Amino acid sequence: MNTVAIYRKEAWYDLLSILRTPAFVIPSLAFPVVFYVFFGVLFNSGGASAYMLVTYGCFGIMGPAMFNFAINIASDRAHGWLTLKRLSPMPVPAYLLAKFATALVFSLAIIVLMFSIAALFGGVRLAVGQWLLLAVVLLLGTLPFALIGLILGLTLSDKAAPAVVNLVYLPMALLSGLWLPIQMLPMLLQQAGWIWPSYHLSQIGLKVIGMDQGHALSIHLLLLTSSSILLAIVAVWSFKRLTGENT
Amino acid sequence: MLPLDVQRLTKAYGSNTVLAGVDISLAAGEVLCVLGPNGAGKTTLILTLLGLVKADSGEIRLFGNQQQGITRSQALRQQLGVMMQIGSLSANLSVYEQCDLFSSYYAHGYSAAELVQLAGLESHAIQRFGNLSGGQKQRLLFALALAGKPKLLFLDEPTLGMDVEARQALWQQVKQLRQQGVAVVLTTHYLEEAEQLADSIAVLHQGRIVAKGSPEELKALMQYKVVRCRSRLTDAELALLPAVLQVSRKQQQITLHSRHAEQTVRALLDADQQVTDLEVRPVALEQAFLHLTQTPATQQEQAA
Repeated sequence: MNTVAIYRKEAWYDLLSILRTPAFVIPSLAFPVVFYVFFGVLFNSGGASAYMLVTYGCFGIMGPAMFNFAINIASDRAHGWLTLKRLSPMPVPAYLLAKFATALVFSLAIIVLMFSIAALFGGVRLAVGQWLLLAVVLLLGTLPFALIGLILGLTLSDKAAPAVVNLVYLPMALLSGLWLPIQMLPMLLQQAGWIWPSYHLSQIGLKVIGMDQGHALSIHLLLLTSSSILLAIVAVWSFKRLTGENT
Repeated sequence: MLPLDVQRLTKAYGSNTVLAGVDISLAAGEVLCVLGPNGAGKTTLILTLLGLVKADSGEIRLFGNQQQGITRSQALRQQLGVMMQIGSLSANLSVYEQCDLFSSYYAHGYSAAELVQLAGLESHAIQRFGNLSGGQKQRLLFALALAGKPKLLFLDEPTLGMDVEARQALWQQVKQLRQQGVAVVLTTHYLEEAEQLADSIAVLHQGRIVAKGSPEELKALMQYKVVRCRSRLTDAELALLPAVLQVSRKQQQITLHSRHAEQTVRALLDADQQVTDLEVRPVALEQAFLHLTQTPATQQEQAA
């Protein structure tokens, strides 16, 4: 047994299995990109294009992270595949990291697609350092949403998972100012935006291009990190609860 | 050092006792078949042994190591093979890919190509799991259970959905594994499977092992034969024949349970010279099994 080989194969086959599901791949990529083209490029001038690149970029990376984890884990559970793997010597982190790697691949694909559209058709001009930093922010920002997906996947049935993910994903995106700038939301909702990890991620991204609301970077980082840790704790707890019960 | 040694295992869900003190042990190269009606606790027993469900009390030793709760060490899992009743793999991965993935988990297991061969799916190696027939899926799951060349193998209803040929091929494989010294725990609904494969059968009923022994011993517990015939004698007359335990009739077909078939038949032929379609059979394991599981229930009902 070669531990590195397990991690590599687990990740490769998870990705392969997803790539062979066009019903997942196409909407995951097309949804945020089409939104961005529509609202960020066709109906906007230069400034808004950059702003919306960040917010729709956040929206884009959140989807596959939550859906890949929630739906696939719920379905692996329902079909006994996860049980079979848990009984095998497979290290559990290999399974989870594989799913996370798949989410990162999707994030990267969305980043490349949207950055290209922004630069070629949206008239977005950023320094090389800004492009790279923004890409890093979005890639790292995949983690908290992957954790949300993981928790949902560990707790929901395979039938309920897709609907519940949408129920979390779409309102969270709207209330964090990912579709419309947060300033356009009613004051109460603007204040409530602080509870969403996606709000802090988008503000950090907007800071890179100097279009954020002006709160300190450290506050956003602190809140995003602590919510990720909290989500990780809940995820571990969900996993323990799952393995203690009859699955 | 027995591969499996279980003592006084209990498990209850709320007030519902599922396992009420189960003892089983299994030697290398032994096939143990756990039989029992639905709800007897078979699934819970297997899940508890595998560490998927936590027992309330009792001892589980695997290869001499006492198990604490649901944790099973990495080293131990290298030696176990499991085929679960509900087992479906990623529909989008091919037979070969699933084998490749599973074989990577084990230190001294079979290669992916060997697993494809064990499953007998060489001609379907590039076919995705979702496109396989039910029997082919079962064969792949069986092969994956062998991925680590296990010393202890759990087979939960392994031939469900298989055609006769595939079933016999799997039986052949299990017999070979037994010769190689693999200990096998098997649950099945097919009594023929138990008769064919099992060295010992444990009959689980209401969370207890109500009988245990070889298939022959279990049959011997039911020392009676079945006499079938057509006769003009009435049920009352038939019941008075020597050694008759029970009389039943389906249209013209009469079935007698007899403690001593020869005596019964001689008297039957004396009483009715026009007996036709006479047939004497040993009791099938299925009937022996039904009888064993019915007895405690009946006793309980009487006690209640």
